[in-house]
Amino acid sequence: MSGASGRGALGRPRRVGRGLCLAPLFAAVLGVLAPLPAGAAEYDLAIEPVTVERDGATRTVIGYNGQSPGPTLRFREGEEVTIRVTNRLQVSSSIHWHGIILPSGMDGVPGLSFDGIEPGETFTYRFPVTQSGTYWFHSHSEQQEQDGAYGSIVIEPEGREPFRYDRDYVVLLSDEHDHAGATILNNLKTMPDYYNRQQRTVGDFFADVSDRGLGATLAERAAWGEMRMMPTDITDVQDYRYLINGRDPGQNWTALFDAGERIRLRFINASAMTYFDLRIPGLQMTVVQADGNNVQPVPVDELRIAVSETFDVIVRPTEARAYTLFAETMARDGYARATLAPREGMTAEVPELREPPLLTMADMRLAHGDMGHGDMGHGETGEAGMGEADTGEADMGEAGMDHSTMTGEAAEGGMAGMDHAQMGHGAATGAAADPFYAPGSGLTPSAAGGGRFLSYADLKAQRPLYAERPAGREIEIRLTGNMERYIWSINGIKYEDAEPIRLQYGERVRFKFVNETMMTHPMHLHGMWSILDAGSGKWNPVKHVVSVAPGTTVYTETEVDAPGRWAFHCHLLYHMASGMFREVRVEGGPQSAALPTSPARGE
Amino acid sequence: MTRSSLGAVAAALLASPLLFGAGQALAAGEHGGGHGRAAIGAPGEAAAADRTVEIAMYDNYYEPERLEVAGGQTVRFLVRNEGSLVHEFNIGTAEQHAAHRDEMMMMVEHGVLLADRIDRERMKMDMGGGRTMEHDDPSSLLLEPGETAELVWTFPESGTLEFACNVPGHYEAGMVGDLGIQK
Repeated sequence: MSGASGRGALGRPRRVGRGLCLAPLFAAVLGVLAPLPAGAAEYDLAIEPVTVERDGATRTVIGYNGQSPGPTLRFREGEEVTIRVTNRLQVSSSIHWHGIILPSGMDGVPGLSFDGIEPGETFTYRFPVTQSGTYWFHSHSEQQEQDGAYGSIVIEPEGREPFRYDRDYVVLLSDEHDHAGATILNNLKTMPDYYNRQQRTVGDFFADVSDRGLGATLAERAAWGEMRMMPTDITDVQDYRYLINGRDPGQNWTALFDAGERIRLRFINASAMTYFDLRIPGLQMTVVQADGNNVQPVPVDELRIAVSETFDVIVRPTEARAYTLFAETMARDGYARATLAPREGMTAEVPELREPPLLTMADMRLAHGDMGHGDMGHGETGEAGMGEADTGEADMGEAGMDHSTMTGEAAEGGMAGMDHAQMGHGAATGAAADPFYAPGSGLTPSAAGGGRFLSYADLKAQRPLYAERPAGREIEIRLTGNMERYIWSINGIKYEDAEPIRLQYGERVRFKFVNETMMTHPMHLHGMWSILDAGSGKWNPVKHVVSVAPGTTVYTETEVDAPGRWAFHCHLLYHMASGMFREVRVEGGPQSAALPTSPARGE
Repeated sequence: MTRSSLGAVAAALLASPLLFGAGQALAAGEHGGGHGRAAIGAPGEAAAADRTVEIAMYDNYYEPERLEVAGGQTVRFLVRNEGSLVHEFNIGTAEQHAAHRDEMMMMVEHGVLLADRIDRERMKMDMGGGRTMEHDDPSSLLLEPGETAELVWTFPESGTLEFACNVPGHYEAGMVGDLGIQK
């Protein structure tokens, strides 16, 4: 495999036929053709092996047009884009435009949208751009995303932005592994704790006994054993190298500024498996956009970015000095790092990693507390076992669920029986705890400097995208898994065995996500927006991925305005590959879903 | 809904309202400014205004985004909230705005300041010691969507001022304009 053959053949993405110049000219000369869209952009992308340098050696990864991450694609709201994608790999590939509202045939999911792009083949994507903001793209084939197949998308709005900035940088985070994605999946299937280097030790056991007594320690250990989980199971895969814009911490990607300028940072988490806690010591970050949709600005000191989310922030360094952008993994097993500085080569102090979090009994509340037996993985109640095809899915058509609980959804119910005193492990127990974590959860974040940590509850739409109306029905999505066999599922059923979730065009549905596992799952619905119920009514934020923490229930609503077949899955790559995936099939509505038609919108 | 006669304002200031750091600045202004304390000017009389400036507030920016005034000039500001969120038009120094943002955050936390509405009843709530969250500083207007108000201001002879919206997050997102004072 050589990067050289593919590289340069297509070069950087070419923008041809910009509406302002070529297209109208031709139209005028020919005097024919249907009216052209306001603008049109064309790109050529080659999916190909590329080489990157790490620690003085070179590695071959998958990239686009000679680079990984791929080039930033810049669209304009209101134009139609044409992207010719040529596969120069030896295997089938695809590109999914993450968060982009488009016809289902253009969505890039092999098996649902199209057949994939075979080696040597060129597939032409064409769709109208009906939104603005920060997005990204990645392969939706096998585990190529782990191997470097991702890039960023920036869409300029038609009107002015509701905020100001002097400089604009994409900050794309990713996790890179020495093992190929396919190998990692295989290892996890063979030995689920293959990559868990933070196993609890006999020493920890005696420390727990002395802290809390033998009985409590033994009882808790037994519960964890039944779960086939460990308190250190924050992440399935370790030994990653964490990157910002393709640079490791030593390679220190640097963004330049002059003191006093406002800088827009477009954070994109293109990781396969890694959540990051982001901060810039010495600077507040004002969050102005989440998942491409503007939010009412929230100044924070730190934020957590789930896999596949995006957050745009404005920072304003007033001093002409270097600032470290520190992206610590949620599991605290490493970090990505970049620098904001007035000049190249300047650096600032890099903080120490904080102590790894430990999951608590609160994080297994639903799996353990609600089921009463803590027997997840044994299939006794059909919650997490295999082949219990009669659970969950059948009640999808039921209407008349409780739509009235609008606040604190994530913390509702089921806590009464739990003894918080036994949870220990230094769990966050702040009074103003984030409602999107189970009370007493070991994962509840807090800002390193003691300031404000962004919560989903802080996200309010800058301008509501859809008119408010009640959902017609509720669909329960229980997030389930069997860690022992590395099977992840929805309602106890993995993708291969599941029926599609059928939605009717024009309806509004409410999804109830119940996380019965110990892991945090970033749930991503393709093709349509997920309106997160953050308790803010008409201001509820509109997202394309919603992270559901262990032991919590989270609600979203979706205006079903895009016909066709769509993917709906956990965006942790190996969870998706192991079955936490559904097809969502939107029935009715405009025919020929594959044709580029503008999606209907509320308001 | 022109607010606040001068007398009412003075009374409010004496009653030690929770809100607004410009009280001190106002005092400094009356003493001729300088002495290291920022002089931002003082409320003026509409009849004595040298000019009228219209300011439109959008989500989340002003039009215009900068303004030049002459030293000592009295300006009548006609401020209209054209956005769908609550916005403020406040004249002060960067430091004063920073202090005021803490107060505005408190208003949000106490449910006085909502995204698109101001709970003016709740503003009067006694916060202890006779302090309230009434937003009645003479150098500031806090407007709901669609509201229009007038503010007359006599600028000092010199200084570096900003007009700003201190609704949490708005200033940081760029809802601030430079006020240049020409000598």
